[in-house]
Amino acid sequence: MSYIKSYGIAFPQFRIEDCVLHPKGRKGVMKAVCYPDEDIITLAFESANKIPKESIDGIFFATATPVFHNRYHASFIADRLNLSPGILALDFTMSSRSGTDALLLANELINSGKYMNILVIASDAHYPEIGRETSTPFGHGACSVLLSNEKGFAEISSSNTVSSSFAEEFIYKGEYIQFDPRFSRDAGFKTNLVAALKTLDSSRSSFDSVIVNSLYSRMAGPFFAKAGFEERQFSNDVIINKTGNTGTAHALFLLLNDLELEKKEILLADYTNGTNLFKIKNNLPPEHKPLQEQINNYDLVRSYQDYLIMRKAGDFNSPGYHTKEMFSSEMMQEREKESLLYLKGLKCESCGTIYYLKSAQCKKCKRTTFSEVQLKDTGTVYAITNEHYFPASFPPISMVVVDLDGGGRMTVQQTDTMYPDKNEIKIGSKVKLVLRKMIENDAKPNYFWKAKQL
Amino acid sequence: MRKQADIAIIGIGVTKFGELFHQSYDDLVRDAAMQAITDAQISIDDIEAAWLSTAFPEIGVFKGRSGMDLCEPLSLYNIPVTRVSNYCASGADAIRNAANALRAGECDVAMALGVEKLRDRQPQDSIVKMMVEYGHPFLQKGFTAAGTFAIYASRIMHEYGVKREDISAISAKNHYHGSLNKKAHHQKCCTIDEVMASPMVADPLTVMDSCATTDGAACVIMVRAEDVDKHKHNPVLIKGIGLSIATGWDMPFFDPNHDFLSFQATRNAAKTAYLQAGITKPIDEIDLIEVHDCFSIVELLTYEDLGLCKQGEAKDLIRGKETQLGGKIPVNVSGGLLSCGHPVGATGIRMVVEVANHLRGTAGDRQVKNAKRGLTHNIGGPGAIASVIILEK
Repeated sequence: MSYIKSYGIAFPQFRIEDCVLHPKGRKGVMKAVCYPDEDIITLAFESANKIPKESIDGIFFATATPVFHNRYHASFIADRLNLSPGILALDFTMSSRSGTDALLLANELINSGKYMNILVIASDAHYPEIGRETSTPFGHGACSVLLSNEKGFAEISSSNTVSSSFAEEFIYKGEYIQFDPRFSRDAGFKTNLVAALKTLDSSRSSFDSVIVNSLYSRMAGPFFAKAGFEERQFSNDVIINKTGNTGTAHALFLLLNDLELEKKEILLADYTNGTNLFKIKNNLPPEHKPLQEQINNYDLVRSYQDYLIMRKAGDFNSPGYHTKEMFSSEMMQEREKESLLYLKGLKCESCGTIYYLKSAQCKKCKRTTFSEVQLKDTGTVYAITNEHYFPASFPPISMVVVDLDGGGRMTVQQTDTMYPDKNEIKIGSKVKLVLRKMIENDAKPNYFWKAKQL
Repeated sequence: MRKQADIAIIGIGVTKFGELFHQSYDDLVRDAAMQAITDAQISIDDIEAAWLSTAFPEIGVFKGRSGMDLCEPLSLYNIPVTRVSNYCASGADAIRNAANALRAGECDVAMALGVEKLRDRQPQDSIVKMMVEYGHPFLQKGFTAAGTFAIYASRIMHEYGVKREDISAISAKNHYHGSLNKKAHHQKCCTIDEVMASPMVADPLTVMDSCATTDGAACVIMVRAEDVDKHKHNPVLIKGIGLSIATGWDMPFFDPNHDFLSFQATRNAAKTAYLQAGITKPIDEIDLIEVHDCFSIVELLTYEDLGLCKQGEAKDLIRGKETQLGGKIPVNVSGGLLSCGHPVGATGIRMVVEVANHLRGTAGDRQVKNAKRGLTHNIGGPGAIASVIILEK
């Protein structure tokens, strides 16, 4: 038996309405969409950053939209999060079911007694073909769930999987979508889910929420009824119209949503290429409801052109990172990660001044002994300018000198500033540092801190 | 510091500044050097040591990475030549090194020559590209040269009630001066409104608050003061040279002690130069000043750093037109970097040539009357390195 001890959510700040994506699209139906400096790594980091990290002995990363092809995203994120070096780090990919696959294996490993705390991260940023956004489900987001053998607010009382050979996703062949749901719906969805339900040994009426995460979830009614469920038990997907279908993270979002809504006994069925079935008991609903907060806190993209600029800054067909002749700095990222990644600073032992950059002596009191301190990721703007000519998707870029709460100073770019008329940052504004992509490079992109106005 | 022996400038030369597509790096070296050599009435081989100032060979034409790029165009061989690189203070530092070698007795006739070829590039393949693609891959990414100085403007405006009009008035003043300088890159007057209406580069600095990237070269021939031939030369004396590095490229932006209200480097360099020249009240004792107005805000800050007024009062000098030609202390009567442009390695020496012309009384339309003592100032890197040179008749 394993417990959900903590979780974190990350959606991009921006949403695009279907009516902006297509003239016939619906108003109020939105997809969460990445700012140009966001990707599955930054979303995953943001969702996991506030989770207690001390005792984590395993990390799983689920995505159907990988950005690396030569390393595990899990080990990369483990390094960014400053988890213990060398812990179990595995990727789950190729299917949007991989989010719950990771949860399933984490649960089994904790049940086996070999692992105590496994961090499961699901992060997806799927970009459909230009012009076909409304005919395919997409939405960007990430969530992190810390599974533990210690008691948490929810418990996974059983997990089960029944695999299938059918791929249920849209298949792109050149410019055309090959999508015939009839066969896969019948032979895949129905047959597979019915088989999965047969493995369920509890009383149907004990569940006050049944989640079916699937493109065809609305067609599940008849055979769930046949298996003994009632319509009132079904949990509607209220997230999809607010953020889009977030791929590997979506089933976990639906689960967390029901936990935040204080449902007691939950059945989660996640179907793609097979079914994962979980029984979850909600012991103690979380006080904070980060999912509700983030779903309801967003800015709208105003035009399709803005959306196009958000994607890949002009290189729309690039599936991943495209090469630019820039300083990839793999060595520097490794050598200086204490400060670049973990925000460690130096405190003068004599006068207490805190520095972000190393130096041989304190600039203020000239003493030479320092001790390492952890810098805070919030602060106040001390000075600012807007750079109109620095290459950017949405110029100008605001450069801000930030005095960090508790000491130390950094100068970074401001981010999530698509519309200058909405940007109210000035001297004295409170900001938060967020990890974003600085430079794309096929070897290793540079992720560094940027400021977001609070 | 021991008393510094006076050094005399006996020859000066400066090329036209601008987009000199018809002149190569070597052509510019020859142009400036031969003007100075002719002015000093010596021959090329009389030069016993030389210093070449070029700041950015890699974003120009890959020339100036060593002293030999001075020798080759002049066929000036068999002497020591050193390349000097210290960002925008490179030219002034070449003069400082030449002066010190003369004082040490290494040579009797020294040349300091600054040259920069920034325009032989594709559009947008210049300093902005350098800031985008090179340098530290994390720290300060997002800044252009303008931004690194504009961020000071945000604090100055916040603390001292400086208005955008005050900053742009610097540009309008210098463009008026530049209209009188036939060697300036831009020789056109403009109004404060035109400066403020031009495209924004980094708030609050517009295109016309920013200097151009320019080709150009300047040269001085120097000897010890006692070696001046009074019948032959019309010398200008170097009475003080200060150079200081007060911070680094990244440090000011990550240093909690930094107030973004002044440049410590300028203050240090001025202190040294004033001490050597015996200056205690600069606004009364100096007749003209060439300030490093790479961006108009820098000139405003520098009034305070050079001690022309108290901290926070620079705006009153510009509002009272005290620094305009005819005012109490004319600043940048050449047109400054805003009009002349900024061939980085050449700028410091171009300023010394400008002040020398005023002290000699050969500055033409923009002559500062009865000029007896002048000052040149450079700052760069950004705000890290500064130089101050005091010149007297």
